Amino acid sequence: MDFSAAHVSYVIASYAISGICVIGLFLYVLLRDRALATKLKHIVEKDKR
Amino acid sequence: MQQFANPARFLKIANVTLPYIWAITAILFAIGLYGALVITPPDYQQGETVRIMYVHVPAAWLGLFVYCLMGFFSAVAFVYRHPLADAAAKTAAPLGAVFCFLALVTGSFWGKPMWGTWWAWGDARLTSMFILLLFYLGYMAVWSSIDEPTRAAAIARIVALVGVLNVFVVKFSVNWWNSLHQGPSVIKMGGPAIDKSMLWALLTMAVAYTMLFLALHLVSMRSEIAARKLRQARLVEIGNR
Repeated sequence: MDFSAAHVSYVIASYAISGICVIGLFLYVLLRDRALATKLKHIVEKDKR
Repeated sequence: MQQFANPARFLKIANVTLPYIWAITAILFAIGLYGALVITPPDYQQGETVRIMYVHVPAAWLGLFVYCLMGFFSAVAFVYRHPLADAAAKTAAPLGAVFCFLALVTGSFWGKPMWGTWWAWGDARLTSMFILLLFYLGYMAVWSSIDEPTRAAAIARIVALVGVLNVFVVKFSVNWWNSLHQGPSVIKMGGPAIDKSMLWALLTMAVAYTMLFLALHLVSMRSEIAARKLRQARLVEIGNR
């Protein structure tokens, strides 16, 4: 990619926003999954006791 | 199909397949991004701005595809009343909304240098895509505003199925009305209008986005099943008091 070309800032902005949104979505989904799995594990262990 | 609708079997299959799906997604993104930013040539008219296409088009395709999937799962839930179908539609919505949002934003970044404007309300493709985002938000609002899951599911199914009509409007808007947005250039009669030197990177990115959606959807469904089990456990606890 030629960084000195016209309108290249629009390309950089598009990739930056896409990256931020996709990584944000990825982290949200994985962290929520982990949090719920931990809660469920505690309840199962509590029931066993 | 029926055998995958069992939550325990679904979880077992999801847990086995997820590492492979993540690995394929990472490889496809690495190849696709390298192709999009380094290997593919600039366009003879659009110059370097054409590179926005490699993130804009897959996001737009996913925005439409995910809503169709939500419509399909909602129809299945309507007919078979299977709770996993509702969970599949519910968990697909936030993912589809992000892809739809990305299509709108990256489209604006393409529109400003190419059309001279960020946005045009009179344009059918842009406006119908924005309405699709509102359908996504409305669908998610139904689930989060109604406490009773069976009631929320019943209303959410209607929102999903009505919204599918708008997906057809988005798809054919460039054929039905005069639009700033270009017409179909990949899936069209007579073959794609995009040169092969660019098409391979676009298709790689499209498959990478689809695999990413598949992985995130499987994880979200696993979370949804865990959330339902937690809700059930809480109700039992309250009942025992």
